[in-house]
Amino acid sequence: MPDTSIKDFEAAIGELEAIVKKLEEGDLALEQSLVLYERGVQLSRFCHARLEEAERRIEILNERGELRPAPDSLMTDEPGR
Amino acid sequence: MSDLFDLPFEEEPEDVEEPAPTLPVPSLPSRRVLTVTELTVRVRDLLEAEFFEVWVEGELSNCRVWNTGHLYFTLKDGSSQIRSVIFRSALRYLKFKPADGLRVVARGRVSVYEPKGEYQLVCEHLEPHGLGALQLAFEQLKKRLQAEGLFDAARKRPLPSFPRKIGIVTSLDGAAIRDIIKVLRRRYANAHLVICPARVQGEDAAPEIARALRQIARVPGVDVVIVGRGGGSIEDLWAFNEEVVARAIARVPVPVISAVGHETDVTIADFVADQRAPTPSAAAELVVSAKDDFLARIARLHGRLHSAAHSRVQSLSRRVHVVTARPAFAGVPGRVAMRGRHAAELSHALARVMRAGLAARERRRQQIERQLTTFDLGRRLAGIRTRLVGAEGRLTGAVRRRQHRAEAQLGSVAGRLDTLSPLAVLGRGYAVAWNADRTRVLRDAATVAPGDTVQVTLASGELECEVRSTVDSTQRTPRTQR
Repeated sequence: MPDTSIKDFEAAIGELEAIVKKLEEGDLALEQSLVLYERGVQLSRFCHARLEEAERRIEILNERGELRPAPDSLMTDEPGR
Repeated sequence: MSDLFDLPFEEEPEDVEEPAPTLPVPSLPSRRVLTVTELTVRVRDLLEAEFFEVWVEGELSNCRVWNTGHLYFTLKDGSSQIRSVIFRSALRYLKFKPADGLRVVARGRVSVYEPKGEYQLVCEHLEPHGLGALQLAFEQLKKRLQAEGLFDAARKRPLPSFPRKIGIVTSLDGAAIRDIIKVLRRRYANAHLVICPARVQGEDAAPEIARALRQIARVPGVDVVIVGRGGGSIEDLWAFNEEVVARAIARVPVPVISAVGHETDVTIADFVADQRAPTPSAAAELVVSAKDDFLARIARLHGRLHSAAHSRVQSLSRRVHVVTARPAFAGVPGRVAMRGRHAAELSHALARVMRAGLAARERRRQQIERQLTTFDLGRRLAGIRTRLVGAEGRLTGAVRRRQHRAEAQLGSVAGRLDTLSPLAVLGRGYAVAWNADRTRVLRDAATVAPGDTVQVTLASGELECEVRSTVDSTQRTPRTQR
């Protein structure tokens, strides 16, 4: 693989799509199939890892542009005031 | 003298909003010649007293804003017209933009411009006839922004497939923020929200929303923004019809979802936003479903990747087997042989992995066996033997019982050893290959030659096989039978 870096989600999934398509249609040599498969697994792992990364967090951006954790009262159904 | 009405249609008047105090009116004798000014002043006083507050309906024409900010125009109907002015201070409060041809109802007072002897309507307020002022304002702004291309489909950006940080501009006191959080909590547990609070109702709402949009656009990582509020009257939702909000939405560098009021409420913000959600909850659902679609897409691709690779390998190895199974094709160079080599390499790799696993298991078994004999069993037996010797001649019966027990223990240990036997793994699909007379287990392909017979022990039954070719693990080139 000349370029093993993965730019972002969209790039990863685009490449993964292309690989799957190639594997599905192409009359590829076994060796190439395996290389593609390996890359595909790598891409798919990347996506899953990124999915796990998102953090469960709620923040409030105040007028000075600072981020503060949101009060718990926001998570209840009734308006706090 | 007031220059209030000074040539409103010819040159710019001074920025004076109130007429000067009236001159004292002289008492009228039986025959008194008035000066022009005196008459004019009296006319003015009469008019101003009589028409202190009037409502006049008419059509706007000759609308013109001087750079003092006052708007001069003519109010007319089919047969008459009256010159009119609305001062900047009042003009500011009009939601719509007065324009020629509009039919309006004007509220104001009549006054006289003395230098010209002209009377004029000084308006306090204008409202569009028929349409409400707000609705007209809405139509006007919509038309203007549309002409600028702010609503063009080409400007609409797709929502991010996997939103990492969701920006929200709304009030912390309303139901909207709670609705959004509730949906996200339920369907996107690890969502990261950044809320920029803004008043969403009242005079200051529009500039605050615009400010919040600018602020949230600067938070690193925010990749989609929801702006909105819960339901209310058209006045309550008005901020979302203001130009500052529309322009702020257009300038947010990431996709914006507008979510104002209920299903039926449509605001200017909805036209400018990249996507309109009928309600705040629906906006949250939009974000989540983009994420769900993305996850499903990855899962599908992952599955397809596996099955495609697997079936590719299978079909290749099937073909290799079919071809190489025919003696006539054996050893034929070229593509087929190349494929055969790849297949051989693959099966070698598999075999290596299996061998490594087997070897590790074998090592463990041997270790356990060693432990059993050296410590457990050895010590026990030794102890028994010592005691046996010591007790010999005295407690033969007791010793015999102990010996029986030791034998029983030995038996159970042997049983455990048996389950660790390499042969037990045959049940899991492994096979043991022997040389022709079953005196030796085959560990190295080099110890047999093409044409040799090998015996293979399976979990159930035996095979007698003929070696067609062998592959050296170092050189990996098949040596086939000639």
